[in-house]
Amino acid sequence: VPRGAGAPVGPRRGTRAVAAPLPELFDLRVKARSLAYLFAAGALLGILTLLLPHEEGVRDLQLYVLAGIALAIALLVYVQADRIADWQLHLVLAAGTTILSFANYYTGTSTLYPLLYTWTALYAFYFFGLTLALAHVAFIGVSYAVVLAIQDPSSPAIRWLLAVGTPLIAGLLISRMLSRLRAERQAAQDRAQALRRSEARTRLVLDSAPDAFVTLDRDGIIRTWNAAAERLFGWSAAEAVGRPLRALAIPEEFRERHDRRRAELADSPGPVATQSYEVEFARRDGSRFPAEATVSKVDVRGEILIAGFIRDVTDRQRRQEERDALAREQAAREEAERVTEMISGMQLLVDAALYRRRLNEILSDVITRVPGVLNADAGVIYLVEEERLVLRAVSAGVPDADESDPLGFGEGFAGDVAESRQPALTHNPDDEDVRRLGLRDLDVNSMIGVPLLAEGQVTGVLVVCAAPPRRFVADDVTLLRLAADRVALAIDHALVYEREHALAVTLQRSLLPDRIPQAPGLLVAARYKPAAAEEGVGGDWYDVLPVPGGGVGLVMGDVAGKGLAAASMVGRLRSALRAYALEGHAPARVLEQLNRLIWTEADESQMATLLYVVVDPSEGEVRWVNAGHLPPLLVGDNGSPSFLEGGSSVPLGVLPFPDFEEVSARMKPGASVVLYTDGLVERPGKHIDAGMNTLAGAVADAPSDPEQLCDYLLHEMVPREGAPDDVALLTLRSIPMQDRFRFEFAAEPEALASMRSLLRRWLRHVGAADSEIAEMVTACGEAATNVIEHAGGGGEFALAGQAEGRRLWITITDSGVWRPPREGDHGRGLSLMRALMDTVEVQPTPEGTTVRLERTLEGSGVNRNGGPE
Amino acid sequence: VTELVQLEIEDRGEVVVARVAGELDIAGASSTGETIGGSVPTSAHGLVVDFTELEFIDSSGIAMLFGLARRLGSRRQELAVVARGGKAVARVLEIVEFERAAPIHETLDDALAGLSPASS
Repeated sequence: VPRGAGAPVGPRRGTRAVAAPLPELFDLRVKARSLAYLFAAGALLGILTLLLPHEEGVRDLQLYVLAGIALAIALLVYVQADRIADWQLHLVLAAGTTILSFANYYTGTSTLYPLLYTWTALYAFYFFGLTLALAHVAFIGVSYAVVLAIQDPSSPAIRWLLAVGTPLIAGLLISRMLSRLRAERQAAQDRAQALRRSEARTRLVLDSAPDAFVTLDRDGIIRTWNAAAERLFGWSAAEAVGRPLRALAIPEEFRERHDRRRAELADSPGPVATQSYEVEFARRDGSRFPAEATVSKVDVRGEILIAGFIRDVTDRQRRQEERDALAREQAAREEAERVTEMISGMQLLVDAALYRRRLNEILSDVITRVPGVLNADAGVIYLVEEERLVLRAVSAGVPDADESDPLGFGEGFAGDVAESRQPALTHNPDDEDVRRLGLRDLDVNSMIGVPLLAEGQVTGVLVVCAAPPRRFVADDVTLLRLAADRVALAIDHALVYEREHALAVTLQRSLLPDRIPQAPGLLVAARYKPAAAEEGVGGDWYDVLPVPGGGVGLVMGDVAGKGLAAASMVGRLRSALRAYALEGHAPARVLEQLNRLIWTEADESQMATLLYVVVDPSEGEVRWVNAGHLPPLLVGDNGSPSFLEGGSSVPLGVLPFPDFEEVSARMKPGASVVLYTDGLVERPGKHIDAGMNTLAGAVADAPSDPEQLCDYLLHEMVPREGAPDDVALLTLRSIPMQDRFRFEFAAEPEALASMRSLLRRWLRHVGAADSEIAEMVTACGEAATNVIEHAGGGGEFALAGQAEGRRLWITITDSGVWRPPREGDHGRGLSLMRALMDTVEVQPTPEGTTVRLERTLEGSGVNRNGGPE
Repeated sequence: VTELVQLEIEDRGEVVVARVAGELDIAGASSTGETIGGSVPTSAHGLVVDFTELEFIDSSGIAMLFGLARRLGSRRQELAVVARGGKAVARVLEIVEFERAAPIHETLDDALAGLSPASS
């Protein structure tokens, strides 16, 4: 055994010192008792020789005494065998040699007593080391030599040699034999120790192993039980070893299986077989745990053992379960996300359905969203148009769909869906269908088509396609049906909306005056700009109407709401306002009537703002009533802007009897008034005052001509991409009078008042007195009346004036043939003209007739360019 | 369609008073004449046409007035016209010598008083 190799092997199991002496073959007790037996036997043998007939010359008494001493020593040593010390044994043995020497002396030279020395010598060789044994032999030699010297027998040397030499040789042989015996025993002990050490190491390994290690014999009896097994099962090794495992750790219902498996394993051919089992074990406290047992059959020199590692897999199972739970949660979350995405996709479709917009927008919106909802690769929408399916929208993945080829019902995949009104799923799409969809580059492996149904009618077909790895399943059909319901709704809404929108636009356009009535001395221009988004036809409207006395009524209104309802309300307001205004009602009274109309007749809470402005150029003032509308902007003849803030009241339809107040302001010739709706000045996120300030700033540099002014303001105020709301704009300019003027009127009775109004303004401008004005207006009226009477309800006539100092020329020109006034009542016209003017000339020409009137003003002309025109 | 003329007719039993305001031209003359003429019952003694508030009159209005005068005259009913002197209407009436057809008074009271009383 390599001594040095024995490293300290742990405190627990311990070990002996490495430098151990050769082992004693016998312990002290055995030595002592053997010595005691030797003494007793010697004494008894001595006594026996005395009892037998023996030679003369033997001193029997002395010998009996010696035998007695020997027996006494034997008894003492035997009794003290457990307490005797090594040196005492040597002393006793030396005493024995001494007793033998005395016995030899007392028996004389004739006896064979020297043979007895062999006893003590052999004892020494047998029980003591070689050196000490030789010392005892030396002592024997000395003491026998002393005896021989005293007895002086014959041939003493031979006697000595024989008596001492014999036990010496025999003792040496015994010593050698025992020495070998010791060496073998030492080797055996070393092997045993090495084995123990190895076992300890193995045990340590096993004990420190996290897994329980158990060995069983073929009957199931536990042979090995490591520390982990102790911890795992709750049984200590001392308790477990030697007992059957089945009783200790196998739950009752598994014991038969345990027996069967153990037998199978033990009987399996070959020296070693390994099996793994997922099993359940019971602990000492009865609790159970899942375990993985890896068992092997081990053939140890013919003995069949079953060795097994047992691993508690509770943790592993828990971790596995946690992993499984995590995976399930992950999957559930992914599913939830997918569903959420799908639902939000659906919601987008619903939004598309609810948000009223143009059909094309909805279609393109929907077709980009549907493939996302379904995780499809492409999608198209067919709409039914004139009994055929027309491809109307394609998703991003469909670059070259065949749009020129409408499908009949029952024709192709989409046609079949439309005809059967049932969804269809195919995993073998027809090549022709794939070609129609322009999907040649896509390896379409499945295709779903669902009909779009609105109120039981097929309005279209929605088709989606998938390419690997995606492959549609039946659930996808259900999903697409849901999507299709919403798409159908959206399309239906869009169609209805577009019809309604078109109707409303038409109606609204028809409500706006197609021709701005011309008023002499006033220029009016209007613009209507629909909102960019075209979400619905707004309720903005305007009107321009002549009012009695030659003035012009300007109307700007905004009916709450949009679409058809608003448009029809505008229509009613417009008719009513015209009727009331033309009856000659004052502006405030007109608005009261309109308010009553809305208040009493509107089926729901309708509301409308309305601004009614009357410009009477001959009076040089502007009058207005404002029902909740934005104030008109007056642009002075010097370009200075001011909002006409007064006269504001609540919108129409809010109160049953609101007070409308008519307010007036001076309006010089050359001034303009601007009416508008909030679409012009209202911008998202900005206060309306900001927009109004912008408007006021814009007019400062604006051209004065109303048409140009409108264009300028729209350009300045409305973003290039269009206003968020409809914009209505109405501008009026009072033209400054010159010494010359010319204006054309329709040849109809209604034009006469305007003509007179203009004429009064001009005459006032050139400085005519009131009476002169009245007379000249009457004269011109006669001329115009004559034109109108003969025009037969068509054509135009022109009124022109020219002033040179105090002389005035007024001409009325028509395009017809002058007919002399008839006799009688109507003949008074010409006589009136002649009475009222200085000269009257009628100049018939082939193109028409010109009546030329001339008069020189009286007075100093102080009125000229002063006072109201 | 312009309603330049405002007409107010008051039946005072013996006398009908028609107040004409605004501007009377070819657009409204004939209808105004018809209305006034139709409002005078045969039992009435006479008609006063009050032009106090009238701003303008042309030959159409004058013709209407002469028409009324003829119509009343044929029924032996009297006509009087109120027109303030110095105003355009009075000037026109003067030019066409309407005085020959019916009397022109400065005020309504004068006109009513000027009508030959039948019973009062």
